[in-house]
Amino acid sequence: MKKSKRASTARDHLEVLQTRVVVERDNVSSISSSDFPFHTSNRYPNHDLAEKSRNKIIVAIEKKSQYDMEFDIIGIDASIANALRRIMIAEVPTMAIEKVFIYDNTSIVQDEVLAHRLGLIPIKADPDEFDFKQSTEHPTDQNTIVFKLKQECKRNPKTSVDEKGPLYINHNVYSIALIWEPKGDQAERFKDVTIGPVHDDILIAQMRPGQKIELEAHCEKGCGKEHAKWSPVATASYRLMPEIILKEEITGDLADKFASCFASGVVEVENKMVDGELKKVAKVVNSRLDTVSREVLRHKEFEGKVQLTRIRDHFIFRVESTGILDSEKIVFDSLQILSSKCTMLLKALDIKLKEKEETETSQNNENAMELDA
Amino acid sequence: MIDIPGFLRNSRIRTVDNTDNNSNNGNPEENNSDFEVNDILNFYTEKGSVADPQSMTFSISGEDHTLGNALRYIIIQNPEVEYCGYSIPHPSEDKLNIRIQTTENTTAIDAMRKGLEDLKSLCAKISETFYKANRDFDEKNDIS
Amino acid sequence: MNRETYQGPQGGPPPPPGPVNQATPRASDTAAKMLYNCADCGAENEIRPKEPLRCKECGHRIMYKQRTKKMVQFEAR
Repeated sequence: MKKSKRASTARDHLEVLQTRVVVERDNVSSISSSDFPFHTSNRYPNHDLAEKSRNKIIVAIEKKSQYDMEFDIIGIDASIANALRRIMIAEVPTMAIEKVFIYDNTSIVQDEVLAHRLGLIPIKADPDEFDFKQSTEHPTDQNTIVFKLKQECKRNPKTSVDEKGPLYINHNVYSIALIWEPKGDQAERFKDVTIGPVHDDILIAQMRPGQKIELEAHCEKGCGKEHAKWSPVATASYRLMPEIILKEEITGDLADKFASCFASGVVEVENKMVDGELKKVAKVVNSRLDTVSREVLRHKEFEGKVQLTRIRDHFIFRVESTGILDSEKIVFDSLQILSSKCTMLLKALDIKLKEKEETETSQNNENAMELDA
Repeated sequence: MIDIPGFLRNSRIRTVDNTDNNSNNGNPEENNSDFEVNDILNFYTEKGSVADPQSMTFSISGEDHTLGNALRYIIIQNPEVEYCGYSIPHPSEDKLNIRIQTTENTTAIDAMRKGLEDLKSLCAKISETFYKANRDFDEKNDIS
Repeated sequence: MNRETYQGPQGGPPPPPGPVNQATPRASDTAAKMLYNCADCGAENEIRPKEPLRCKECGHRIMYKQRTKKMVQFEAR
């Protein structure tokens, strides 16, 4: 991590403008990237930058659990970071309940509300193993997973009125009640994995004695841009790495005040020998934790002593999976999808050019024939 | 590029036909069928203007800001490109227009092709770097 | 079609004259059994046409018809 440094010379100032977004009291400046050919403040004018930018990419994993990760990508443009974020949210496919066939529902939850709630339950199933089901296609074992739910609420015969204990049996309908029904070769194909809701304790409906729900649910493969239920992430987001540039040393009691302007852990107050006496000095230790609240810019005494910036090409990604896919797989998939979009367009470009060429040659031939005649 | 496990075997968004699934050799990009590919892209010089290979508008259906902005950024990195911008003409139309104007040294089509190839290799580079970082993190923290 | 030629849904040839054959079951016996729930105690009641509307368990006179067993399809959206 780059350490905060004094940026006093004009050259340093230019570098700040080239590589940092500057957060001021009332506005944000130096926002847009200047890394393209012929830009006035570009460090490498008149070069093909595509290759250059490729070779300086750094990735660092910060935190990771199976379904949640934070990582940094340094050296890419916001448009690329944003494309990845958008793909993770809207274009990485998963399986979700799409059709609900209700045989009986006497609970107070209306049929359409019940169907909607079922759709939102994350279903643990590998989407790579399934095909997209086109609206004209019939459900097959290749594009559909079937679940059955049958539950009836009854009075608990063991609990009389004055006794304590559960009054009802099957009063809460939880997601665990969705029973997977393997079709075709699915039982064989998925004998080593469990297919079912990610969480067993999602409350779908509540019932009273005599009420009953019986239904069949069909899962299909889809993308988040069609409906959010297919999104593999609870959230995928990025922020720019904050950097606090100290232009002057902040000492004494001001140092404490300075530290209290930031989130805890960002600035620490150290004791340091200055001119032969021990003094309290503020030091930025972990700017990553900063929320960039701009509190420090409200105080007159820090005016001109500090500059709040964010590093323009340092993206801190946070990918929280819903539990269907591992978070790292979501990242890999998003990259793969972006790349395959390009492949597809390259192919389309070739086909179009070929078509054009063919029509042109046939036209030329016609013209030639006319001339001959 | 290194072989990355866990990659989508079937990466196409609009896949219809998977019958040739078995024929691919683990390379996800060989799996694309020709399905409707030619309807996705169109390119033309503006109506009324002189046909000019240096300036063209590409019309891509089924794509949005996700690809539009990323592609615009990549194409603009090319010093032979004088202008590149994109627009989504209407939010309820699933369509993306990318305008490219280049110098005499190249054509708009070639700039587009170079942009797509650059974006592809950028993706490959990021996934490679990400894969290495991820593997190192797992090794360091004893995650199998 | 004029008024005279119109035949109502109950139309058809009139029943043959003569004593009613007691052996043939009444229509109500063969009709699909219809279940109702008591509005008071919730008990299931089977009520045939012309039968008094009363719960066998508690004597309450309000009944609810049960939901159809027909399947209905919904999009989970």
